[in-house]
Amino acid sequence: MTGDVLLVLGSALASGVEMVEAATIVLALGMSRGWRAPLLGSGAALGVLAVATVAVGPALEQIPIDALRLVVGTLVLLFGLQWLRKAILREAGVLSKHDEEAAFAHEVARAREAGRARGSLDRYAWTLSFKTVLLEGLEVVFIVLTLGVNQGSIPLAAAGAVIAAVVVGAAAVLVRRPLSRVPENALKFGVGVMLTAFGTFWAVEGAGAEWPGGDAMLLALVAITAWWSLLFVRVVRVRTA
Amino acid sequence: MRRALSGVVDFVVGDDVWTAVVVVLTVAATAAVVQAGFPVWWLLPVVVPVAVLKSVKRAARA
Repeated sequence: MTGDVLLVLGSALASGVEMVEAATIVLALGMSRGWRAPLLGSGAALGVLAVATVAVGPALEQIPIDALRLVVGTLVLLFGLQWLRKAILREAGVLSKHDEEAAFAHEVARAREAGRARGSLDRYAWTLSFKTVLLEGLEVVFIVLTLGVNQGSIPLAAAGAVIAAVVVGAAAVLVRRPLSRVPENALKFGVGVMLTAFGTFWAVEGAGAEWPGGDAMLLALVAITAWWSLLFVRVVRVRTA
Repeated sequence: MRRALSGVVDFVVGDDVWTAVVVVLTVAATAAVVQAGFPVWWLLPVVVPVAVLKSVKRAARA
């Protein structure tokens, strides 16, 4: 039960962060060049992602669970450590925080410089929205599939991503502004912690070791990882002050 | 093919190859020691924070 809750939460948070970044660019394109091409480009990318998920998901489920946990757990751990390392450096002030307002203004300026659309479809807006949604979406697919397959429920992981899509989509439609009030850096920190904890848990299980306490150890790993991550923020902040 | 592989590595590993190598070696060591009959579930949770601390200190210095 704890694992299922963490699975949905982890998937929703990770997907939500990626979706906020994609929504900023689609909003910038829609508000500066019209909505048709960005929506068509985003829809086409979502179609490609859906096909990729349906094709790869069942194939992954055929692999023996221990081998899968060893390989995919290690990949999730490496992926999570990337997020966590950057989040620690951002919180400590070593890296600049991601600013959705600035990203939005940058994309609007680029969209205006790109010139007017020729023909019935704005190719610039279509291509950029397709590429953005596809690239950010690939990360969502990777997270949903790896979390879902390892925890034994792709539908639960997908449910987390769908919840994130509904929340981010509704917020973008309602405010029609970059979602700068979303605490994106804090979310990235949380996602880094969860992916690192999930990856550690599965990689060790895949290696053949047994966790004392079983699945409950996953929750403990999340808490311990959050603790040392916050401690490292203070350590780096002191060293660079 | 090489570009695709480089893209996959960049996607999963990012710009800190050293930490990735340490993590992969620790997972391999865990598997080897478990095969020998010793319970080493604690090894990866100990090594990961040490590797991250070294990595963020290195990044802060740079």
